[in-house]
Amino acid sequence: KATCNQMNLCELLQYRTLTFRSKASELAVSLDALPLNEIPAAPELTEEDARDLDALCLAKSHFELKEYDRAAYFLRGCRSQKAYFLYMYSRYLSGEKKKDDETVDSLGPLEKGQVRNEALRELRVELSKKHSAGELDGFALYLYGVVLRKLDLLKEAVEIFVAATHALPLHWGSWLELCNLITNIEMLKSLSLPECWVRDFFMAHMFTELQMIKEALQKYQSLMEAGFAKSTYIISQIAVAYHNIRDIDQALYLFNELREQDPFRIENMDTFSNLLYVRSMKPELSYLAHNLVEIDKYRVETCCVIGNYYSLRSQHEKAALYFQRALKLNPRCLGAWTLMGHEYMEMKNTSAAIQAYRHAIEVNKRDYRAWYGLGQTYEILKMPFYSLYYYRKAHHLRPNDSRMLVALGECYEKLSQQVEAKKCYWRAYSVGDVERMALLKLAKLHEQLNESDDAAQCYIIYIQDIFSCGEQLEHAEVSTALRYLGQYYFKNKLYDEASLCAQRCCDYNDAREEGKALLRQISAVREQGEPSSTDLSLACVFNPLINTTTPVRRASPLDLSSVTP
Amino acid sequence: MASVHESLYFNPMMTNGVVHANIFGIKDWVTPYKIAVLVLLHEMSTTKPMALLDRRRLNKLILPLQQGPDLTLEQFLKIVEECCLRMVNAVKLRLLLMADGELQDMEHFFTILPNAFSDSEAFKTSVVGLFMRQMLLAYNKLSFSQVYKLYKSLQQYCHHGNQPELSALPAEDMELTSNEDPSADHIDKDELDTASLHQSELRSEGITRGPLSQKQAEYFLARQAYLLKNDENKAMSPAKLQDELNNILKFNPDFAEAHYLSYLNSIRVQDIYISTHSLLHYFDRLILSGGEGKSNGDEGYGRSLRYAVLNLATLHCRFGHYQQADLALQEAIRIAQEANDHVCLQHCLSWLYTLEQLKGSDSVVLTEDSVKIAAHFCLPYLASLGIQSLVKQGAKQGMPANKLLDALRGTDIMHWKQSLSELIEISLAQTTSIWRMYGKSTMARQQAQLLLNMNSLEPVNFSVQQNNTEAFAVALCHLAELHAEQGLYAVVSDILKHLKQQFPPHTQHAKLWMLCDLKIQFEKAMNDGKYHLAEPHVTAISALNSTEGLYRKAQLLKALNRTSEASKILQQLQQQCEKSKNIEMTIRVMLASAELHWDSSGFATALPLLLKALSLSRQHNLQSLTSETLLHLAFTQLMLGIPEQALVLVQDVLESVLAHGSLIDKGRALLLAARCQMALAGAAAQEHRLTALEQAVHTLDEAAVYFSQLDCKERMRDIHYLQARLHHTLGNIAQRNKCSMLFRLLDQELPSSGMTVVSHL
Repeated sequence: KATCNQMNLCELLQYRTLTFRSKASELAVSLDALPLNEIPAAPELTEEDARDLDALCLAKSHFELKEYDRAAYFLRGCRSQKAYFLYMYSRYLSGEKKKDDETVDSLGPLEKGQVRNEALRELRVELSKKHSAGELDGFALYLYGVVLRKLDLLKEAVEIFVAATHALPLHWGSWLELCNLITNIEMLKSLSLPECWVRDFFMAHMFTELQMIKEALQKYQSLMEAGFAKSTYIISQIAVAYHNIRDIDQALYLFNELREQDPFRIENMDTFSNLLYVRSMKPELSYLAHNLVEIDKYRVETCCVIGNYYSLRSQHEKAALYFQRALKLNPRCLGAWTLMGHEYMEMKNTSAAIQAYRHAIEVNKRDYRAWYGLGQTYEILKMPFYSLYYYRKAHHLRPNDSRMLVALGECYEKLSQQVEAKKCYWRAYSVGDVERMALLKLAKLHEQLNESDDAAQCYIIYIQDIFSCGEQLEHAEVSTALRYLGQYYFKNKLYDEASLCAQRCCDYNDAREEGKALLRQISAVREQGEPSSTDLSLACVFNPLINTTTPVRRASPLDLSSVTP
Repeated sequence: MASVHESLYFNPMMTNGVVHANIFGIKDWVTPYKIAVLVLLHEMSTTKPMALLDRRRLNKLILPLQQGPDLTLEQFLKIVEECCLRMVNAVKLRLLLMADGELQDMEHFFTILPNAFSDSEAFKTSVVGLFMRQMLLAYNKLSFSQVYKLYKSLQQYCHHGNQPELSALPAEDMELTSNEDPSADHIDKDELDTASLHQSELRSEGITRGPLSQKQAEYFLARQAYLLKNDENKAMSPAKLQDELNNILKFNPDFAEAHYLSYLNSIRVQDIYISTHSLLHYFDRLILSGGEGKSNGDEGYGRSLRYAVLNLATLHCRFGHYQQADLALQEAIRIAQEANDHVCLQHCLSWLYTLEQLKGSDSVVLTEDSVKIAAHFCLPYLASLGIQSLVKQGAKQGMPANKLLDALRGTDIMHWKQSLSELIEISLAQTTSIWRMYGKSTMARQQAQLLLNMNSLEPVNFSVQQNNTEAFAVALCHLAELHAEQGLYAVVSDILKHLKQQFPPHTQHAKLWMLCDLKIQFEKAMNDGKYHLAEPHVTAISALNSTEGLYRKAQLLKALNRTSEASKILQQLQQQCEKSKNIEMTIRVMLASAELHWDSSGFATALPLLLKALSLSRQHNLQSLTSETLLHLAFTQLMLGIPEQALVLVQDVLESVLAHGSLIDKGRALLLAARCQMALAGAAAQEHRLTALEQAVHTLDEAAVYFSQLDCKERMRDIHYLQARLHHTLGNIAQRNKCSMLFRLLDQELPSSGMTVVSHL
C-alpha cells in the first residue's frame, strides 16, 4: 500500500506546483525510497499542454513572484487545463491581495468590513458556466469551491469541495477547506467521500477538530502502521491531539521527537510552547523561543512562543505585545486572541480581555478556551451568575473536561446552589479530574452541609487519589483531609483509625499541633477504659492505600452516586 | 392590572424612549453623497439672486440633509427639486461634470469650496460652516489611493443616478432595499444555469446587495428599535429583521447595537437561546466602548456591567425563570452596592418587588422602601411605578378606595409635569381596572375611553404612535368584557379583532386578550345553555390561568349537575384562594358553593357562607359582588319562606344592579323580585292580590326584555312559565295561552334540565 501511495504522491508532485505541495513532499520523504525502475514516468503531456508550455512557465514565474495580474495576462489565451487553473487562480489571488491592500486605506470605519474581493463574482459566473458544462478538473473545482465559500454560499461550496475530492483525492487543499465547513459529526457522516488513503488523513484531522480525540488517535495509529511511521505531519498531529486531551507527558515526548527529526520546523511549535508553559519548563521554553527567532522571527507561531515565554516570566505587557504582533501577521489566528485575553486577565485589564476573547469566539465559535476565559473574567469581576453562561458554553463544547465542571461548581457554590455544585464536582471527578481539586471541593462542601459521612468518604478517595498518582502536586491539601478524617473517626469512636490519621497529621507542618492534640484526646479516652472496636483489622488509609476496608464505615463509596446527576 | 417592567426601559441606549444608536461618536467621512450636499451648498452661496421663498425652503432643507442618512442621487435631486427647480439643474450639472470629467475636477472643486464661503453668510462656527470644514479636513486627510477611490465611487454614484429603473427607491423604504437581498440572492442561484445572468448580476449588485453605510445602519436600527417598542406590527417580521441584522453584523461585527436589537427581536419570538446570546454579546461589546464613556463621570465600564446583569435578570423574568432571575438580581444588587450606584440599586429594588409579586409572595414592604428611596434620589419614574404597584396590592387587600384613588391622582399630577406618558397610560389602565373591580362599570368604561382617546406625549417618530403597551391591552380587554356583559357581541368581536391585530399571538401581552376572549365565549356558551361548547374553553382557560380555569370547571360541572365533583373542586379552590389572598375569587367560590347547597335544598346551610361572602365583599368595596351576594341571600330567604325580607333586600340592591350590573344580573334581579312579589301575593288579601300579581307580570316583562337581549333561552322559558301561571290566576286566557305556547316551544327546543324553576336564581 505504501508503495502505491508513494507513486500517487510522486505523480501529484509533478503534476502541479501549488500550495500544499510541501505537505505532499513531506509525506513522500517519510516513506522508504523507491527503487529507480519503479519511479513512475512523468505524465504525458497533451497537445494543448505542449502548446501552452512556454506561457505557463512564464506565468508560473510571475505567479511565484506574486505578480498575479501579470501571470493572468499571459495566460488569458491558453486552453489547457493547467493553464486555465493557473489563470483563474491568479485572478482570485490578485483580488484577494487587492482586498487586503484596500483594507488598510479604506474610506471609513464601516467600509473596512465592506471591502470585498471584486473578482469573486466574475470568477463565480465563469466557473459556474464551466462547471455546468463539466469542464472543470479537480484543481479548478477546488478554486470554484473557494470562491463559493468566500461568497458565503456554504452549501454549494460543500458540494463542490466534495466533487473536487472525488476528482482529485490527493489534493489536500480541498480536504482542508471541507474540514472548515463541516460543523458536526452528523454532517460529516452524511457526505459521500472518495475511498482513498487521503481520506483517512482527513477523517483523523476532522476528529481532532470535533474534539473526538480517541477516534483521531486511532486513525493516526493505523496510518502509521500502514507505512507513514516516519511522517512528521502525523507525529505533530498526534502530539496536538494529546495536547487537546491534556496528556501532557505524551505530547511533550512527541514534540521533542518531532524537533529532533525536523529541527527547523515552526509549524505547531506554538502548541509545544503551550505545553512547556503549562509545565512551567522555563529553560526549555526559552531555548525554543530563541531557536525559533533564529529560524524566522516574523511567523505567527514564533510570536506566540515568545508571548508564552514572556508570560511565563510574568512580563505580561511584553507577552501581550507579541501576541498582538502575531495577530498583525495573521488576524485570524485564533490561539493568539485567546492567549492575549489571558495576558490581559493577568494584567487585570478585564475589558481588554473580554474584547480579545470575543474576537477569538468570532473567529471560531467552538473555541472553548475563549468561552472559559470569558467566564473567568466575569468571575473575577464577582459576577458568578453571569459567568455561568460562559462556563456552560465551554462545558457544552468540552463535556468531558473537568476544569469547566469545577468552574461551574465553584460558581454554583458562590450562588449557594449546593445541589448543583455537588453534581458538578462529582461529575468533574468522574470524567477524570486533571487538577485533582474536585474531590477536595466536594468534601468541603459536604463538610459545610454537615454531611459528615459523605465528606469523610470524599476525603478518603481524595487521599487515595493523591497518593496513587505519585507525582508531587503543589500543596495538595492532604493535611486538611487527614485532620477531618481524624476528627471524624474520633467522633465515631473508631480510635485506631483516628490515631492513625492523627499520626499522619503530624507529618504536615500546618496540622501537627492538631494531630498531637487529637492523639492526646484518644489516649485519654482509652485510659478511661472505653472499649474500642478492637475487632477491626487496623484499617489503614495509607499503606496499602487501596485497602481501606473499614467495615464500620457509614457510607460506602458507591453511596456517593446519589449525588451524581 | 398593569405593570410596565419592561426591559426596554433599562436600555442604556435609550433616554426618554428615543434610541441613540450612535453612542460611539463615529467621525464623518467624505462620501459621494456628502459631495453632493457640498455642491448644493456651494451653488447656494454662489448664486446670489435667488427668490426669498426658494432660499428659505433650501435653508430648511440643509439640516436634515446634513444629518440624515446617505441618499441616492435620485432621491437627493428629487428633494432639492421640490424646493427649487433652478437649483437642481445647477447641482446636477456640476456633479455630472465632475463625474464625467477627471479626478482633477473633483480636486478643483475642493480647492474652490472654501472661497465661496469666505465672504458669505456661512460663519465658521455655524452648522454649515462646521460641516464644510469637517468635510474639507476629512478630504485633505485622504491618502492618494483613497482620493482615487472616492472619485471612483463618486462616478458610480452619479452613474447610477442616470439609470432611473435601478434607483427609484424612496427614502422611506430604506430597509426594503436590503430586504430584497435574500430573495435576490435566491434568484441568482436559480438562474445560475442560464448564462445570461452575468451582466445584470454585476450591475444590480451595487445597489441591492451593498451593505448599509454607518449612518444608514444606525438609522435602520433606531427605526426598528423604535417600532419594536411602540408598534410591533409595523416593524419588520422577526425572521427578516434577523436576516438584516446578520447582514449588518457580517460587515461590521463591532456594531454592538445590532446585537441589542437582535436580543429584542428574539425576545419577540420567545427564543431564549438567541436572546441570551445576543444580550451577553451586546454587553461584552458595550463594555469595550465603556472605557470611552469614563469621561462622562459615569464610569461607564462598571456601570454597563451592573446593567448587564440586571438585564439578564429581566430576561429570565420575562421567560418565567424566577429562580434564575433571582440569582441574577442578587448579583446585580451586590455589585451595585459595591459600586455605590444608587440609581442602579433602585432599579434592582423595583425589579425585586416585581419578582416577589410574580412569585406570589407579599412585597408591600419592599415596594414601600423602593418608593421612599426612589423619591429620595429623585427618580420619579421608579417612584411612581412603585406607587402604582402599591396601589395594585392595596386594591387587592381592600384598602379604602379613596386612599387608592388619591394616591393615583397624586402621581398623575407628577406624571403630567414630567411628561411620563407611559406612566399616565398605566395609571389610566389601573383606574379602569380598579373601577371595574369595584363594580362601577360606567366609570371603568369612561376611564378606558379616556386612555384610548388620549394623545400620547411621546414624540411621534416614523409616523407611529405608541399604542402597544400593556396598558392599552388591559383597557381594551376591559372594554371587551364590559361590552360582552351588555350583550353587545358585535362590538366585542370588533374589539377583539383589533386586539388580535395589535398584539399578535406571539407577543408578550397576547395572553391578556386570549384569556378575555375565552372568558367571554365561556360565559356566552353558559348563558345559552350550550355546555358542550363551554367545555373546550375550560381547558383553554386553565392553560392561561389555572385558578380561573378551576373556577370555570366548577361552574360547568355544577351546570351539568355533577355536584359532588363540583364541590370537590370548589373546596380546592377555596384553599388556593385563601392562600393567595385572592378575595374576588374567594367570594365567587363562596357564592358557587352556596348555589351547590341550594341544589341539595340546604338553604339554611347556605346562609352562613353567604353572610361571610357579604361581609368580605363589603369590606373590600366590591360592589358588584355585594349586590350579587345580596341577591343570593334574598333568594335563600325566599326559599326559606320569608318573601317579605327577600323583597326588601332585592329592592335595596335593584338600583345598583340596574345601574352597573350586566344584562344577566339585571334580568336575574328582576326575576327574583317578581318571584318575591308572587310569593307575597299568595298570602295577601284578594284585591291586593290581583294588583300584586299584575305588578309581578310587569316585572317579569322587564326581566324578559333583558334575557331576550342576551338570547338566554333557559331563563326565557322560566319566565314564560311563570307568566303563564300568573295569567292563569288573573284569568287572562289569551295571554296565558300565548305564554304557555312560547314556553312549550322553548321547552321542546332545550334539553330538559333536571332543574326546576325553583332551585336557582
